[in-house]
Amino acid sequence: MGRSDEELVEACQAGESSAFDLLVARWEDRIRGACYRFLGSEEEARDVAQEAFLKAYRAIGGFKREARFSSWLYQIATNLCRDRLRRRRTRATVSLEEMEETGGAIAETRPRADERLLQDDLARVVRRAIEALAEEQREVLILKEYEGLTFLEIAQALDVPVSTVKTRLYRGLGQLRQRLEREGVRSAAPVPVPAP
Amino acid sequence: MGCDRIADEGLQADKVDVLYGEADVEARARLEAHLRSCAACREEMSGLAGLRRDLRAWRRPAARPTLADRGLVVPHWLAAAALVVLGLGATLGTLGYVSLRGSLSAQEARAEELDRRHREAVAALQAAVARPPAPQGADAAALRASLDARIDERLRATEARQGERLELRLADWEERLEAQRRIDMARVAAGLSYLDGRHGQQLARTNELVGYVLEASQKR
Repeated sequence: MGRSDEELVEACQAGESSAFDLLVARWEDRIRGACYRFLGSEEEARDVAQEAFLKAYRAIGGFKREARFSSWLYQIATNLCRDRLRRRRTRATVSLEEMEETGGAIAETRPRADERLLQDDLARVVRRAIEALAEEQREVLILKEYEGLTFLEIAQALDVPVSTVKTRLYRGLGQLRQRLEREGVRSAAPVPVPAP
Repeated sequence: MGCDRIADEGLQADKVDVLYGEADVEARARLEAHLRSCAACREEMSGLAGLRRDLRAWRRPAARPTLADRGLVVPHWLAAAALVVLGLGATLGTLGYVSLRGSLSAQEARAEELDRRHREAVAALQAAVARPPAPQGADAAALRASLDARIDERLRATEARQGERLELRLADWEERLEAQRRIDMARVAAGLSYLDGRHGQQLARTNELVGYVLEASQKR
């Protein structure tokens, strides 16, 4: 049985630098995934994820262990992505199509060509709609929907109350739904709530 | 017809809790109670559940191998240093290759020169082998006579040289014998002189004794 994040953090703080390698191996893919969702570029995501781990390594001595290590890591990565997005906004606007070049959907079940086309189209529409969200709503949505963090973890990562996280998510979902409906995507799914 | 609690943050929180499976029993019960009487919220929840399904269409590109797979995190400065070292290595490698090429070229030139000399030697030998045959008849007799004369002349010259050497050695031996003879004569003379000296002293003592004897007898 491997050591928990908390045990590895404790080992790092005690000077066992190899313990940090295990933390990197455990979290690198997920952090990079979140960065990719925030930034829309796999290359940038890799850079930012690496930078996030470097920052974490330098600061791990002062990590208080009040929050989970993963939340702290997501917080560092999210802040770095925010900086990148701000710098990107001050420079020339990045073409969305250009960003989408690396963001094509990867089908796990090998759908038929027409299905793949529809899926790619849907992925593009979804992506545009998420890009159009306000930053605070987009962050919450990505961390919840794609990274699977709990509301508490998101609250720790973004340093906001849990209620704020839920409100931002609810509003973000509402806006996404409206945008997708405008794009012609109108889907519904049964909700496990009994009808009256 | 809309919902009169649409702006209720508590209800919103219950909705996202249920949507993402984090609702406790109370929150789920509250929402169920509301949905039984609110068609707008039922429709909204159904739409949000469908939205979540659509959101899954956006997937990440295929993962590439990363440094983390090897348990490494390489800082930028380390990567830059590695590039510098690689560049230095490449430069040294290039210089070494150029130097090696130069050395190889020189060796090739030397090998070509040796090969050229070898070919010339082989050609000279072939030319020597291919010389015309020896002359026949009178020419051959004249050639043999000439050769015999030259051999005789050489033999005479050799005998003359050997005779001179023999005379020189004899003269040398004679000198050595003469010298040895003189040495021996000198040694003999020295020996005789010693014997003469010893004999003279003995004679003087005898004479002296005889003189004493004569003197003693005369006194008697």
